[in-house]
Amino acid sequence: MSATSQERLWGYNHALDTPFARGFLVGLALLLAIAPLCIWLLQVMGKSGPERRRELWARYRSWLLFAPLIVGPILLGAAWTIAAIALMSLLCYREFARATGMFRQPAISCLVVFGILAVTFAVADHWYGLFVAITPLLIALMAAVALCQDQPKGYIQRVALGVLAFIFFGVCFGHLAYFANDTQFRPMLLWLILCIELNDVFAYVVGKTLGRARLAPNTSPNKTVAGALGALLLTTALAAGLGAIVFAGTAIHTPLKLITLGAILSFTGQLGDLTLSSIKRDLGIKDWAATFPGHGGLLDRFNSLLFAAPAVFHYVNYFQGIGMDQAPRILAGR
Amino acid sequence: MEEWQYKPAEDLGMAGTQRLRSARRESGLVGLISRNLWWWWVRGVLRLTERIEVFGREHLPPSAPFVIVANHSSHLDVLVLATALPLRLRNCVLPLAAGDTFFETPAMAAFAANMMNALPLWRKNCGHHAIDTLRHRLVAEPCGYILFPEGTRSRAGQMGPFRHGVGMLVAGAGVPVIPCHLHGTFHALPPGARWPRPGRIRLRVGAACHFENVPNDRTGWHIIAQTLEQSVCALAGSGV
Repeated sequence: MSATSQERLWGYNHALDTPFARGFLVGLALLLAIAPLCIWLLQVMGKSGPERRRELWARYRSWLLFAPLIVGPILLGAAWTIAAIALMSLLCYREFARATGMFRQPAISCLVVFGILAVTFAVADHWYGLFVAITPLLIALMAAVALCQDQPKGYIQRVALGVLAFIFFGVCFGHLAYFANDTQFRPMLLWLILCIELNDVFAYVVGKTLGRARLAPNTSPNKTVAGALGALLLTTALAAGLGAIVFAGTAIHTPLKLITLGAILSFTGQLGDLTLSSIKRDLGIKDWAATFPGHGGLLDRFNSLLFAAPAVFHYVNYFQGIGMDQAPRILAGR
Repeated sequence: MEEWQYKPAEDLGMAGTQRLRSARRESGLVGLISRNLWWWWVRGVLRLTERIEVFGREHLPPSAPFVIVANHSSHLDVLVLATALPLRLRNCVLPLAAGDTFFETPAMAAFAANMMNALPLWRKNCGHHAIDTLRHRLVAEPCGYILFPEGTRSRAGQMGPFRHGVGMLVAGAGVPVIPCHLHGTFHALPPGARWPRPGRIRLRVGAACHFENVPNDRTGWHIIAQTLEQSVCALAGSGV
């Protein structure tokens, strides 16, 4: 393993070298410090009842827990980032399996877990060939293993749910982890996560203030067209603006490319949210889990990253390349 | 397109200790693996320290649903019973354990739920709702229960009278109830002891009893309790 790879995986002395990373930390600390003041102000101005206030405090407490758990591994190094995203994928898969009833199929469940671990290995090894190959091979394996029960009734459902779970939590989240193979992964990942989370906030705030027509009343009753458009505009502007700092000096540093990137980020972020809402409605459940008071489960929190991660990854990879300056096959290499 | 049938986990929406203490708790992959590791370890330890003989394996049911009842004089009872079951039955068995002993603290509840896949039976205030949940689960899942109808470990080693709990679970349901007798567990690990003593343990499995036609009321429960008590006593006396 080269010195660059070692430094990228384990070194944290240069974590805050980039101005974006420094600015992000300061901004996050300020936000976490100001939020209780805002909640108190809302209470004093009489804009929130006791129920609302409790919900806001529960959300704030959850964020106090989330923020270091998300930002910590990213700053500590690529190895920690990849491990944390693998853990998140497994926990999200667990919520999905329990909600769909897939957890009652131990063989298929085992295969999805194996797939997530295999993808994690491919990412850690910077072995793109394996990363791509796992998908069709695992699907074939799942189809074969599902035959072993010799029970054709429900065969399509068993295999399809397994494939969907692997694609979401193995492949899509795997793209998030693959960012860590670039030496500049920290600003990219922090920028992505910040814009995706604020995308949700913008949609909510614009929807609450200006929203009239509902976006998809059966799928997600609280979403409005105004909220969706407002989020698209605001997130595009934010992502492009901050992207100018993150991608400074790269092939993406042109206004058109940055704005397109921002729009793609916002659109796919909202798509991920709506997709998982639709799945929840199909299942007849309200939250994926009851792990976090005020948030539901991990999947309720990270659903927007689902499609945004691969979309942004391939956009950046097409123009700029991700990890192109890094030696591949760092663990299993020739 | 035809709608697919989904059955989310019964304990979805519950978290932490509430989930561990619920009779609707369902375990997944992590539970399956930790359970199998636990039973593999227990079987190993029991093989080393005790001489276990099992008679009447042919009476064990081919599949769920089933209820196994036995006399109770030691914490080893459920360990011996579970490890004597073949893997396909052990993976679907849910021991019914005293809530006030095994589910009181979060740590104990985590152990009982994750390692033994036990469900709580609250002896002091076992409501109708809890029994209905257990009855429904037995047939719907389907699964198997291990239950000790005496309600507590015998302090003197002699079998006590069987209580109505088992009757409430199986009266009117088409579920085979397999009476078993355990001899030697009281000597190996009596109530109050911390470590098992080496010895000989005999498990006798009897023929299944069926109670489909027994009414689900106090009379029926009494009949069931008595029938099972006599079956277990008969096994004790059969001595091979």
